[in-house]
Amino acid sequence: MTLKQEGRSYRHIVTAVIIVAIFAIGAALASVDFLAMHRPDVIHPSAGLTGTGMLSDYFEEIKGTPGDTKLYFYDSGVPGATVLLLGGTHPNEPSGFIAPVVITENLQVSAGRVLILLQACASGFTCTDPFEGCPQSYTLQGKSGPRKFRFGSRVSNPLDQWPDPLVYLHYPSGQQLSGFETRNLNRSYPGRPDGTFTEKVGHAIMQLIEAEHVDVAFDLHEAAPEIPIINAIVYHEKSEDVALGAVLELEMEGLHYSPELSPVNFRGLSHREWGDRTGAMPFLMETSNPIQGRLRGRTNEDLIVKGVSERYKQALESGALRIEYLPEGEPLERRVGRHIAGFKTILSVYNDAHPENPIVIENLPSYDELMANGIGHYLQ
Amino acid sequence: MLFWVYVVVAAYLAVVVGIELFSERAWKKQIAYAMILVPLILRVLLIK
Repeated sequence: MTLKQEGRSYRHIVTAVIIVAIFAIGAALASVDFLAMHRPDVIHPSAGLTGTGMLSDYFEEIKGTPGDTKLYFYDSGVPGATVLLLGGTHPNEPSGFIAPVVITENLQVSAGRVLILLQACASGFTCTDPFEGCPQSYTLQGKSGPRKFRFGSRVSNPLDQWPDPLVYLHYPSGQQLSGFETRNLNRSYPGRPDGTFTEKVGHAIMQLIEAEHVDVAFDLHEAAPEIPIINAIVYHEKSEDVALGAVLELEMEGLHYSPELSPVNFRGLSHREWGDRTGAMPFLMETSNPIQGRLRGRTNEDLIVKGVSERYKQALESGALRIEYLPEGEPLERRVGRHIAGFKTILSVYNDAHPENPIVIENLPSYDELMANGIGHYLQ
Repeated sequence: MLFWVYVVVAAYLAVVVGIELFSERAWKKQIAYAMILVPLILRVLLIK
């Protein structure tokens, strides 16, 4: 009787060992992929680059943490305005990252200076959002060959900030948002030096804006096709004249942008807090990104790069979709082209309004050039 | 501090689930335990 019991117990231990071994192999293979997301994207700045720094130069406490990220300086040496360009606030919004990459790899500045933070939420580039089934990366053809870029999460990696509260209380307003938003950089401004991981990154960016006396600041984003603020320029009230002037100019070029005034009671966002608390004139731009949409269907690299979703096409044809979605999709070229066109036009209108403090940028592709030649033509 | 509390909780749960996995006699249930164990271990190792 005892031996039989022992025999049975050996059997279940053997099956347990086999099952653990199989799962361990699977987990190890998956871990290789997960750890690959910690390898930084390779960037080839243009010859106009004059220096680099780190975000931690403005707030020592994030030095060496996953929140620290590289800052690129393009200083013409000619007096003028200082412009800050933020990419990658939400790492699952590729045009908000690739447009600044194209700018970084081509930009020349002949008056004033441009500062570029390509991956504002560096932590969010190290993971994807759970349950979304998104790819971890996508590949674009550059001049030197294939370029792989990470497709990350909307928020900081939970490995860097946990646990999420049930309700996120924004500092200092006390505004209540869902707990998940506690790791959203664009709900965390102005941040605080003794706050959460994401609040510290937000605080560092505020410090950067103050220390560098930024005049104009951009934050590039994307949103699902069904979100009302796609293809929009969101502006603070002090940026209104420039924003509306740019919208008119872009309209004359055949590019429609909705001007959206930043709500005064929606706290924590770049276009609100940068405008209220610093001397910078903030602008946030959005494009339409099908991979973020609820109707998207198959979720893969093609959807990121080509932006064609059969489900959105069906919704459009059925008349159920009352939003802008082009039958040929929303390719990354178009989304990047819109961001760069918006960036250039806003600065052009800013120059008209502030001739005493100009910012002159060159060598960036136009919308039509990007659509004709593709993004790869402007990547090294 | 809260972060390390979380890691300790995850490690404790991993040990408990591991013990249950090895004392469970039904192989289908052992698979279920293994599925629960994987994310706990990856989180303790700060991989995912």
